[in-house]
Amino acid sequence: MNTPERRARLLVRCYPPAWRARYGDEFVQLLVDEMAERPRSVSRTADVIRGGLMARLASAGLSGYTLDPQQQVRAGLGVLSIAITAFLAAGVAIWAQLTIGWQWSAPAASPTRTGMLVMSGAMLGFALLAILGAAPLVWTICREVAAGRGRGLVLPLLGVAVGGLTLVAGSIHFGHGWPGTGGHQWAGRDIVPVAVARFCWAGSLWITSYWAHPGALGSFPASEIGWMVVSPVALAAAVVGAAKTLRRLDVSSRVLRYESWLGLIAGSVMAVFLAGAGSWIVSGSPAPRGLFRVGAIDCVAIVVMAGALIVACRAAQRALAARPDRTVA
Amino acid sequence: MDPATLILSSLADGPKHGYALTKDIQGFADVRIAPGTMYEALARLERRGLIEPLESSDRRRPYRLTAEGALALRALLDSQRRIADVGLRRLASSTGTA
Repeated sequence: MNTPERRARLLVRCYPPAWRARYGDEFVQLLVDEMAERPRSVSRTADVIRGGLMARLASAGLSGYTLDPQQQVRAGLGVLSIAITAFLAAGVAIWAQLTIGWQWSAPAASPTRTGMLVMSGAMLGFALLAILGAAPLVWTICREVAAGRGRGLVLPLLGVAVGGLTLVAGSIHFGHGWPGTGGHQWAGRDIVPVAVARFCWAGSLWITSYWAHPGALGSFPASEIGWMVVSPVALAAAVVGAAKTLRRLDVSSRVLRYESWLGLIAGSVMAVFLAGAGSWIVSGSPAPRGLFRVGAIDCVAIVVMAGALIVACRAAQRALAARPDRTVA
Repeated sequence: MDPATLILSSLADGPKHGYALTKDIQGFADVRIAPGTMYEALARLERRGLIEPLESSDRRRPYRLTAEGALALRALLDSQRRIADVGLRRLASSTGTA
């Protein structure tokens, strides 16, 4: 393969697979013809990278000029679920350390108490939305499997099952390792049930600034460090599996619209949670034993949550704007 | 000038592939459309049914204007001509030159 052909093929990899399947060969030929006339061009390379990025955003439902409405809704919901997961991973890490802290001693600072109450209310909202969102999808999956059309769903559902079960089993196992829970006398003082607090703490153990301090991390038990590596992989497997299932599932336009509305409501709940976390970050003060102390990792988590909130709202709005129910076949 | 208008205008005298479009547009409009921008516009025009791809024996796939595309191009150019006429007329009356 000659050099322009190789360079052209490399550049085309900026585009998503579906785009490459449709336009890839002819686009490579255009680039080869261009390179024969002007072998090097920074502006051309930049333009191709920009075009690839736009096509990838379109295929993810965040910008839409090449997807049909049905695809746009599915892509938007896929991005939405990933954004909510990123938000929850960071949010649960904050919330869990506060709930664990509260097991030891109730926070004296009013902003911390208010923030915790707001975040806990938002977590209940997330749980309710998850149930409402999952119900029609589980029903559709069962219907597809019963009708013998569930072949394409096997791998993504396997990802959900393996990732989800690993996360649940590991979080239950390692949650018992926390000295402030697991049956000690001070457990149970919090507004959050002990089992929930330790489960969330263990599930978000990998979101920690200890990664930047290998010396301190080295004092952790090997099994705990192993769990801190495995748990994010399990979470990613479950979320990617869920997003792929959603994209492959034959869901009606009505259900897609219902899920899009739930996504928009989830955006509001995310904003409420972020306000609660912000209340603690900005105005909360540490209690004895360093409980409720704000660290750099918490500030990073807030930035991640704000970014995820913006992406989630954008994805939900695009999914709602697509209106596949009004498409003329 | 919008790449879509330039592409539709280029296809008005017959089918062309990507590189032929680039050279033709550069010839009549003195604008070189970069490859990424070209295919972004081609994909959008195809999705709207204003152009359609033709079979090709090699990788240089030609595109042609559809009937709907021809109508859209005519409406677009008529609108641009009306705007150009108004602008030129007002310019002439304010400066005293045609």
